[in-house]
Amino acid sequence: MEVKILSAKFDIKDAHKIKVAKEHGAYSTLDKVFAMKPEDVIELVKNSGLRGRGGAGFPAGVKWGFLPKGTGKPVYLAVNSDESEPATFKDRYILVKDPHSMIEGIIICSYAIGSHDTYIYIRGEYTTQVKALQAAIDEAYKEGYLGDKVAGHDFKLNVTVHRGAGAYVCGEETALLESVEGRKGQPRSKPPFPAVAGLYGCPTIINNVQTIASLPFIIANGADAYKAYGTEKSPGTHLFGISGHVEKPGMYELPLGLPLLEVIDKVAGGVWKGRKLKGIIPGGSSTPVLLPEEAKTVTLDYESMAEHKTMFGSGGIVVLDETVDMVHLVKNLIDFYHHESCGQCTPCREGLGWMLKIIKKILSGDGTMVDVDLLRELCDNIEMKTVCVLSAACTMPVRSYLDKFRHEFVAYVTKNDSSAAEAK
Amino acid sequence: MADKINLFVNGVEVEVESGKNLIDAIGAVGIEIPHLCYHPALGADGNCRMCLVGIEDGRPPLVPACKTPAQAGMKVLLDAAHIKKIQHDVLEFELINHPTDCPVCDQAGECKLQDYYMSYDQVESRMTVPQVTKGKKMDFGAGVVHDQERCVVCGRCVRFCREITKTGELGIINRTDDTRVNIFPGRPLSNRYALNVVDLCPVGAMTSKDFRFKQRVWFMKKAPGVCHGCSKGCNITIDHNREKYKDDVIYRFRPLLNEQVNGYFMCDEGRLSYKAENDGRLSEARLSKQIRSIDDVLAACTKEIERAEKIAIVLSPNCSLEQLVTVKALAEKLGASLSGYSDGYFKKGDGDDYLIQDDKSANRAGLTLLGIDCSKDGFEKAVQEASLIINFNNDLTLSYQESELKKLCKETKIIAISSHDNLCTGMADMAIPVASYSEYAGSIINCDNILQRFVKAITKNDNLADICEIAVRLGSPLQSDEERFSELKQFISALGEFQPDKIPAAGLNLNDSEAANVTA
Repeated sequence: MEVKILSAKFDIKDAHKIKVAKEHGAYSTLDKVFAMKPEDVIELVKNSGLRGRGGAGFPAGVKWGFLPKGTGKPVYLAVNSDESEPATFKDRYILVKDPHSMIEGIIICSYAIGSHDTYIYIRGEYTTQVKALQAAIDEAYKEGYLGDKVAGHDFKLNVTVHRGAGAYVCGEETALLESVEGRKGQPRSKPPFPAVAGLYGCPTIINNVQTIASLPFIIANGADAYKAYGTEKSPGTHLFGISGHVEKPGMYELPLGLPLLEVIDKVAGGVWKGRKLKGIIPGGSSTPVLLPEEAKTVTLDYESMAEHKTMFGSGGIVVLDETVDMVHLVKNLIDFYHHESCGQCTPCREGLGWMLKIIKKILSGDGTMVDVDLLRELCDNIEMKTVCVLSAACTMPVRSYLDKFRHEFVAYVTKNDSSAAEAK
Repeated sequence: MADKINLFVNGVEVEVESGKNLIDAIGAVGIEIPHLCYHPALGADGNCRMCLVGIEDGRPPLVPACKTPAQAGMKVLLDAAHIKKIQHDVLEFELINHPTDCPVCDQAGECKLQDYYMSYDQVESRMTVPQVTKGKKMDFGAGVVHDQERCVVCGRCVRFCREITKTGELGIINRTDDTRVNIFPGRPLSNRYALNVVDLCPVGAMTSKDFRFKQRVWFMKKAPGVCHGCSKGCNITIDHNREKYKDDVIYRFRPLLNEQVNGYFMCDEGRLSYKAENDGRLSEARLSKQIRSIDDVLAACTKEIERAEKIAIVLSPNCSLEQLVTVKALAEKLGASLSGYSDGYFKKGDGDDYLIQDDKSANRAGLTLLGIDCSKDGFEKAVQEASLIINFNNDLTLSYQESELKKLCKETKIIAISSHDNLCTGMADMAIPVASYSEYAGSIINCDNILQRFVKAITKNDNLADICEIAVRLGSPLQSDEERFSELKQFISALGEFQPDKIPAAGLNLNDSEAANVTA
């Protein structure tokens, strides 16, 4: 089932070094790109159907097309390497094992959108990755792939690595821009969208590492070659991080559209220790959980996930076996998102803290049915009222656990609440 | 006049000004959209989420009204059940960690959270878990005391210090519900407008050390006024109260919106200048340092005036235009010299490029306009020639050292007509107390040549006469307000258009052509 498109060089020794990378084809698409018109590059990417790999899955070429023309302002590219969604571990492989594919992608994208400055925003905890990335960028400058004349062509491009300070919310594109500009990382209210007024008030495109790293293959082989993988609406391949209670957790590159359960069984070795499957988190901790029955019909693409009222997300699949206490899991989840709430807008700032205290109360055995229902209601009251979707990243999954595993929450409050015993 | 556009609120067509956001545009026609973080002087931030409304045109289901410009034909949804629920829900989030200390909170009575609770909530708290605790009574400097628990983190104070004073002393630190406003360690508020954050704060998080625990706001009467602290003439609200068995006392000045003069703000010095209206006042008439009735002292003054060969009259640059013309007419009748010398009212270099002016007098432009000599030479020559000085509230101690002043006036009798007790009244042979600017109505012209009228705000138990009245008692021919106003028209042609009570509330800009000031 596995394929090697993005991960083609992952197994090659020293592929992070430019010499080895070039031997295996790195930077070979540049002559082709610079021979094209920028709008043709955008058109090609549009045709490939490449969708943003940060989680939302917005078509990359379409996003580039939103840039206003003739503003007289510089255009910026920001590469989102904040990769902070729990259960997500795909971009880190690209950064360490094949950074030159990403740099090549940056050159392709920059040429297409007419940008001469790229900021790579990398999460602060990625110390190994930032060293590898910076070393690769330094090599690329030395070899003339970055700087005043990219690969000998009349195109200037500078790439700056900006390290975050550990805030999850800085993966949100406008918080990322605030952080790059040196302010407290908190999301901006939209509109205006970054394509119109982004970094330093200038038109800005923000793409995920994996999106950018997908570009060289598309340029080299064409849109159809890319579309040969995946489904019609979700073409291409994706780096999936499969973790949790499976026999073979790890990062696997797969074409989109494969059946979820088959992937867990065949690629990740199935649920470990012969236990029963209890639930699957399909795309990072912020995606609503799937029950085993629901998972039967789910395929790994954006459309199927949406049909099952969850999200494709970042490709971080977490398998939960029968021993998992969902109340504890939800407490863990709320704890994380509460801790990462930037504190800017009211519902998220105050609401997630309230939810955390309620779930702790339930866990401690002091809760009642009122608390369980309140927790569920707060999910609705907070969601979509906020500046960004961080709160929804908490309330959407929490609601799914409350709805799908309600009996577990009820069990915790039963001893205090006789009405709960009836509800059970 | 801004263009008008028509839009729909809850299906009802309303006409609003274009170019404004929904809160301001719809607010101007009396429809409230609740909000905490938006303030017209600070712009939209969008963090409180109280102003979420629906726009029925296919855009996202909810938009913050503060960030949404009013557009023709827009269909704004405010009273739908789901919008009302949002207002209630967001308010609940604002309230869960808010201490219920309204009984001891200075903001009570003018608190947005209280008002909104009454309008949009009115249900019992569902908070059964411990509240977040934060810092209390933190001294932020410049007379500002902060309570982090009451704070709704709307950031108005932070934006004020960044955008208006550009001093940036305040910041928001931490994340989650631990978010709070704070100063940097050891770096308190140190700008001359800092107390504006107290007014800006929609709740009781920012309180004024000066006003804390002095009055419940609902007991206070509010009167509009014009600050006399400098020549800017910032518009103010005078909050005063006459407690049982006590006198009418001013408790605070607050800035009053006047786009043409001060906008939404005022300086701290002007704000605290209310104290001089309460304290240090000359309260009784004196004849040769003995307390006598005002009538007795006035009779003695009349005799002195009759006896005097040459009289020098000196005026304060704080006197209203009405007072100036009345005293000017008195001087002309008595053949007295007239001076408005008041260089001491200047504090050179004290002003800034915002509101504070070097000139600490309120109506110097009026003195100039009426052609009253303000030169030092003219004043000193007049004093030396005179056998009697009548001083209308000019604090000469600002312009002279005590010894200089005594030397200058050695041979001369002095009548001091004064609102405050000071060295001038101490030196005077006759002293008559008069009303200060919060106790009379009048007009003054500010440093930008804007004529502003103000009304009598305070009525003291012992109601003191206005300078006009004393000048009349001493012989000024301008006996009525009408006469004074028609006299003023001789000097200020722009006034020709107006009845005294019809001068625009925002002031009359004398720089503009007269036509521009005619209100529709």
